[in-house]
Amino acid sequence: MLKKIMIGLLATFILLVSIPLQAAEFPTKEVQIIIPWAAGGATDLIFRALAATTGQYLGKAVVVVNKPGGGSAVGYTEGMKAQPDGYTLTSAVNPLTILPHQVKTAYTYKDFEPVINVVSDPSMFLLRSDSPWKSLKEFLDYAKKNPNMITVGNSGAGGGVHLVALAFEAATGVKFNHIPFSGGGPSVTAILGGHINAVSVSPPEGIEHVKAGKLKIIALFAEKRFEMFPDVPTVKEQGIDFVMGMWRGLVAPKGTPPDVIKKLHDAFKQGMDDPVFRKNAKDMVVNLHYLGPEAYGKLMASEHELYGKLLKEIKK
Amino acid sequence: MKRDEIIVGMVIFLFGAATALLSLRMPIGTFRMAGTGLFPLCLGILLMILSAAFVLKLFLQHKKIFTPKETIVKAPGTIKQIVLFVGTLGLATLFFNKLGYPLIAFLLIVALLRILGMKRWTWNILLSLVTAITSYFLFVQWLKIPLPKGWIGL
Amino acid sequence: MLESLQHLATGFTIAATIHNLFYCLMGTIVGTLIGVLPGIGPIAGIALLIPATFGLHPTSAIIMLAGIYYGAMYGGSTTSILLNVPGETASVITCIDGYQMAQKGRAGPALAICAIGSFIAGTIGLFGLVFLAPPLAQAALAFGPPEYFSLMVFGFVVLSNVTGASLLKALMMAIVGLIIGTIGLDPVTGDARFTFGSIYLLGGIEFVAVAIGLFGIGEVLINVEKPAGMLEQRVLIPRLRELYPTLRDIKRSIGPILRGAGIGFGVGLVPGPAPVIATYSSYMIERKISKTPDDFGKGAIEGVAGPESANNSACQAAFIPLFVLGIPFAPPTAILLGALLIHGVSPGPLMISLHPGLFWGVVASMYIGNFILLVLNLPFVPLFANILRIPKKILLPLIILFCITGMFTVNNSVFDIWVMLLLGGIGFLMRKWAYEGAPLLLALVLGPKLEVAFRQSLMISHGDFGFFFNRPISMAFLLATMIFLVIPLIRVIFKKTMKGGGRQ
Repeated sequence: MLKKIMIGLLATFILLVSIPLQAAEFPTKEVQIIIPWAAGGATDLIFRALAATTGQYLGKAVVVVNKPGGGSAVGYTEGMKAQPDGYTLTSAVNPLTILPHQVKTAYTYKDFEPVINVVSDPSMFLLRSDSPWKSLKEFLDYAKKNPNMITVGNSGAGGGVHLVALAFEAATGVKFNHIPFSGGGPSVTAILGGHINAVSVSPPEGIEHVKAGKLKIIALFAEKRFEMFPDVPTVKEQGIDFVMGMWRGLVAPKGTPPDVIKKLHDAFKQGMDDPVFRKNAKDMVVNLHYLGPEAYGKLMASEHELYGKLLKEIKK
Repeated sequence: MKRDEIIVGMVIFLFGAATALLSLRMPIGTFRMAGTGLFPLCLGILLMILSAAFVLKLFLQHKKIFTPKETIVKAPGTIKQIVLFVGTLGLATLFFNKLGYPLIAFLLIVALLRILGMKRWTWNILLSLVTAITSYFLFVQWLKIPLPKGWIGL
Repeated sequence: MLESLQHLATGFTIAATIHNLFYCLMGTIVGTLIGVLPGIGPIAGIALLIPATFGLHPTSAIIMLAGIYYGAMYGGSTTSILLNVPGETASVITCIDGYQMAQKGRAGPALAICAIGSFIAGTIGLFGLVFLAPPLAQAALAFGPPEYFSLMVFGFVVLSNVTGASLLKALMMAIVGLIIGTIGLDPVTGDARFTFGSIYLLGGIEFVAVAIGLFGIGEVLINVEKPAGMLEQRVLIPRLRELYPTLRDIKRSIGPILRGAGIGFGVGLVPGPAPVIATYSSYMIERKISKTPDDFGKGAIEGVAGPESANNSACQAAFIPLFVLGIPFAPPTAILLGALLIHGVSPGPLMISLHPGLFWGVVASMYIGNFILLVLNLPFVPLFANILRIPKKILLPLIILFCITGMFTVNNSVFDIWVMLLLGGIGFLMRKWAYEGAPLLLALVLGPKLEVAFRQSLMISHGDFGFFFNRPISMAFLLATMIFLVIPLIRVIFKKTMKGGGRQ
């Protein structure tokens, strides 16, 4: 008896699996965004807020699904393998162009179609306010005279802000002692406690402590100054041609029809311009930076190349 | 029972040895500048030492050692029951994404109830239906957890 | 001090409006519910509800979301006691004696003492939050990598053999836990370890999968192996007057609750796996000072009251670094930080002065919330205890479905379900040969942090080991560890020379 039932169940399983999914006109159902990180991080929050405003323009709801794990590899692999029908998007952040250089991943940025870039945040170095270095010049002079002595925290080995610090080393010809932490929070805690000399971060990490006067921005790798801190010069103004930061956008699996991409792009662009989202973004201290599919694709390509070069240098 | 305990100790020893061997393939570095493999290598060696000490102690022990009470129960039919049970769990996990949550929940409960000796089909199906529907509404509809919709699309 | 009280009074006027009371109630109810369901912890719960708070005033939104967090801490022990399924790190220890109490028909008192202990500890924790927040947050900053390393070593050595069974077996399991903890990307170099080319292993093994597997699934399999006749049985059914703790239970629990609250609050301020260290420490201390240590592991109410209280006050303490430093020390507070940011409130050194209404309103709402939770939870005790009336052959499939669903929701990952099932099989075998799961889980949580802190410290000090000894806090922990290791050794040698051979 039991055997019969098991066979019956198995047969049902197989029957159900073999019936294919039906595709239909776009968008007939909700669109989901895969976030390759756990809920609560900056990327997650930004896209949750964007999903909330974009739904009305798309005509169907946009839902966020967290697929953390593997330092983002799990989420991107699933995003890549999803049906290229526009119903599954993935949030693309720097690690999409970093991780494939570090470990064997099933994907690179080339396996995705760019849809839209939403946010770009400049990276920066923070020091404690009571630190002996008053200016970027003093900081770099000391670093030059004492290679490997200044400890610079980052949010994880091979992560975005670690590579920014490495690239900055290369651009200025100094050597830092890089200390990896597990996330931006712990690295900021360590500098507040005075356990490291400097920290490489990207907003909103550490901004509150700069406002409170506990930390100061010693090097800002942006094109232009922060609105919030108009007195802080960029490194570019000080003669070092160096701009780097974190970007966050949306991509679709390769092979998604261009008209679907356009529909998605238009809806998310409207969602981005929605005053509710603009206010949310401002509250979160993130820098909205719109790029269309083509420009976004170019950005990812150049970043991919840059990170590949940087990571080769660490391995040496 | 003592023999079984020794076998378990040896399995743990092998686990430690495997860990140590695999970590030798990674950069080891020194204690001052530890490489990726250093920490696991130390752990592997430590586990080998501990399990070797454990096995040795068992050999030297002449007295009868403590026997966990769970091992006493050995009735015919229970092996088959546990194999079926675990097999069903595996199948359910395998088809979790394809069939979707509500259907898997229903089929899983039907199968497990049957294996554990629920003889009456009417009761079995009814109970499984109620469970599947309740959990579907709780998790998917109310808590909005993105459980797989699968083939039935719920 | 007086000033804080005045602020708190203002806070109560904000929190006690009908509007905010409603959201506090909602938050605590949802929190209790997701706490009861294994897998769906406060993190998922808060994340799921953030979009629902978009239209609310920030104060109401945070009141509700904070309610989910501490509400989940109340509910977290329910499945540990009834089904031996720990839903999160904090309730692993509760499984040990809580489940044994339930097996003896004392599920009611166990559940009730959890609620009472949580209430008392939560209230104590809140007092700490109100009066000590700013100085304590500064003190927490003194913990750098070397201090952290020494604390982890201390925790590891002292807590490994928390249940007091075979020391050798406990140590072996702890090392196995440490090895499992090394799976994934090396946090210092970013290289992959023991991943065998699988992307699913890159991020390491999910703690909840190991916890539910070893305890919950393992226990189910042990039951399935029993002959059919035994499956018809139910757990001992509690009689009505045994649903709530007796006076004797309360008397035995009051000490553990107060000590637990103190330990939890202290540990909760330190970044890292506070719930684990707090609950394990509390259990360890209660067992050590108990007049009847042999009762532990067989259903001692102290082993439930202490850790549960420690967990709750640690949860309140975790708000301090969040509000004062703007830095989350634990994942649930990380997501609360996100919620605050999305509502335009950036926690940090300026938060209390910039948003006094929000800060004191939320703190006051926590007092109210704790009370609501007590009133809410006690009447549920008979209901939950009656779950055990269900015959095992029906209960076991339900537990399995519960575990699988909960496991999936943690990372939306089927791979995690496989890990959970595999660990279930291992847990089943471990149970048979009397290996404990608790040391393995402790090691799994502490191990990665221990390794990172060790390597960070030596990177900062350029390979100088003296770094660990010339910093006072670090030195103190290492010294304490040494004393802890040496004393029993001396005792053993002493005994041996006196009697010529000990028991074991």
